[in-house]
Amino acid sequence: MLTRNSRQIVIYSLFCAAILALPLFVQDAFLLNKSARYLVLGILAMALSLSWGYGGILNLGQATSFGLGSYCMAMALKLRTVPVHTGAEGLPDFMVWNNVETLPWFWVPFHSMPFALAAGILVPALLAGLLAWFMFRGRVTGVYVAIITLAFLVVVNLLIIDQQRFTGGFNGITDLAQLELFGFEFDAYGASSYYLIAVTLTICLFAALLVTKSKAGLILQAIRDHENRVRYFGYDVAGYKIFAMTVSAAIAGVAGMLYTVVMEFASPTFLNVPLSLSVVIWCAVGGRQSLLGSVFGAILIAGMQGALSESEVFLDTWTLVMGLVFVLVVLFLPQGLAGAGHRLLDRLFAPRKADVARGSPQGVMAPPSS
Amino acid sequence: MEARKDLKLSNVTMRFNGFVAVDDLNLEVKAGELRCLIGPNGAGKTTTLDIICGKAKATSGEIRLGDTVLNHLEEHEIARIGIGRKFQVPSVFRQLTVRENLLVAHSRQPGVLRNALRFRRGEDTEGLDKLAELVGLRDHLHRLAGHLSHGQTQWLEIALLLAQDPKLILMDEPTAGMTTQETRKTAELFNRLKGNRTLIVVEHDMAFVKEIAEVISVMHQGKLLAQGTVAQIERDPAVKEAYLGSGGISDA
Ligand SMILES: Nc1ncnc2c1ncn2[C@@H]1O[C@H](COP(=O)(O)OP(=O)(O)OP(=O)(O)O)[C@@H](O)[C@H]1O
Ligand SMILES: [Mg+2]
Repeated sequence: MLTRNSRQIVIYSLFCAAILALPLFVQDAFLLNKSARYLVLGILAMALSLSWGYGGILNLGQATSFGLGSYCMAMALKLRTVPVHTGAEGLPDFMVWNNVETLPWFWVPFHSMPFALAAGILVPALLAGLLAWFMFRGRVTGVYVAIITLAFLVVVNLLIIDQQRFTGGFNGITDLAQLELFGFEFDAYGASSYYLIAVTLTICLFAALLVTKSKAGLILQAIRDHENRVRYFGYDVAGYKIFAMTVSAAIAGVAGMLYTVVMEFASPTFLNVPLSLSVVIWCAVGGRQSLLGSVFGAILIAGMQGALSESEVFLDTWTLVMGLVFVLVVLFLPQGLAGAGHRLLDRLFAPRKADVARGSPQGVMAPPSS
Repeated sequence: MEARKDLKLSNVTMRFNGFVAVDDLNLEVKAGELRCLIGPNGAGKTTTLDIICGKAKATSGEIRLGDTVLNHLEEHEIARIGIGRKFQVPSVFRQLTVRENLLVAHSRQPGVLRNALRFRRGEDTEGLDKLAELVGLRDHLHRLAGHLSHGQTQWLEIALLLAQDPKLILMDEPTAGMTTQETRKTAELFNRLKGNRTLIVVEHDMAFVKEIAEVISVMHQGKLLAQGTVAQIERDPAVKEAYLGSGGISDA
């Protein structure tokens, strides 16, 4: 009989093995690229699951971190296109069109790929950490956290659109070079990029799993459950929440960088409100208290959207379908698909008595199996 | 010798929008003492505990534990100094199992980064299992705390405080909602805890108070009305007067 923990690790490993094996069966470049995109969105959802599902922090601005990561990667790849898409002085083309004369100081270090990679993680992490510091030191909780993070997203989004000279504005940063790392070229439509993303997802998933299994992960769950009680045991609640939001933002930043690699551009739509709200729905559907559930929710919903949007008729009804799915899940599957799958497994493998007590509808504390 | 960590409240006043819940209160509890705090409803007992543990900030006055002034510390800082609190409404982590509750309460090292790198949840749990045994929850370690009975929840919170292992424990009505039998067991437990740490127990159940009390402090309308042994308190005319209308002290 597997313990709950080892069952979870088995399921996580099977999932990762499955996504890593996918290119053996899918040769179509277009389909591979699409799958890679969904996996990236899966990483993004998993990042939210860490802060929302575990720490109870409803961050509606998760796409801020995603978008910033994506722009960091795009800036580095843009500078690699010298001189095809740049002016004589090595300026990106959109800057030339906007009469910018020299490369802005904050673009300069992006000539270095290691710097860009570090920035794609650290910029979102530090910014989210700072925002979290202001919110949680000030004891902001509940719906106000949702409002503030959403407002922050809108501000960053508008700023990027407004600063067209430096960011490409509405169009974003397009016509990028291919990512080259350790001598490998990552073609957006090749298996190389897919593997890069599948491996990163695997690493992020297990790293996040480790965080949830640590004592800090347990304390985050306690904070989600009864924030004030935690304080009287001597824990600095704000510190734990800042930690959760920072780690979550770092992972979202990684996802953003990868998104630029598969999409071959960065755009303000990578950090807009609809995307950010979609992430919340993916997590809710997949099961926000399960890392893998959230990944799965993202792949499922984004995949469905991708499939439906190919037919004109469904495009209009998509928002409606999505809203309906969300309401149904909230009403009937409060723990999402992961919770349902978890209960099913418990029933299949005649569990120990202790497990039955935990699997009850009251709520599953540990990440439900999947 | 380590300085004795006596608790001392000097001229503490707590005002809520003009309403005085605690009125110029002076209270001293010696280290290692078990002090019962009683008084009619609304006397300000819970508010007094709130002020000590940082849940409420006194309008004026000073609160000290040993040499440390607590007035301006945050809740978690006060907890780290060694003050634990049991709430009137039992407060446990309902979505966590009994064992996980105990693990959270066991907070010798409260730092974030240190705890992010600590894994073996199995480690160090022998003591916690013993604690669960002490409060009769040994067979419920894997149950969600939300599924426990009311009495069990009260005991779990008491066990959480023992896992936290503070020098001073503030108990707000620990036997509320317990059956007579459960209350008796709780009294036994408290008598065992005496001496090792300081306890302040707020309680209405006089039978329970008589079982455990050394010194009793009586509060009324935010003030300290009387202080002494059970016999002294029961004879005190001012106390009788304060409890008038609520059916006398024994039914309070
Ligand atoms: N946050 C608050 N705002 C306003 N008034 C309050 C607040 N907290 C307590 N009070 C008032 O202060 C008084 C003392 O309350 P407290 O809870 O300390 O009494 P108590 O002695 O614990 O009573 P009980 O035995 O009923 O628990 C009550 O009249 C109460 O209504
Ligand atoms: Mg009270």
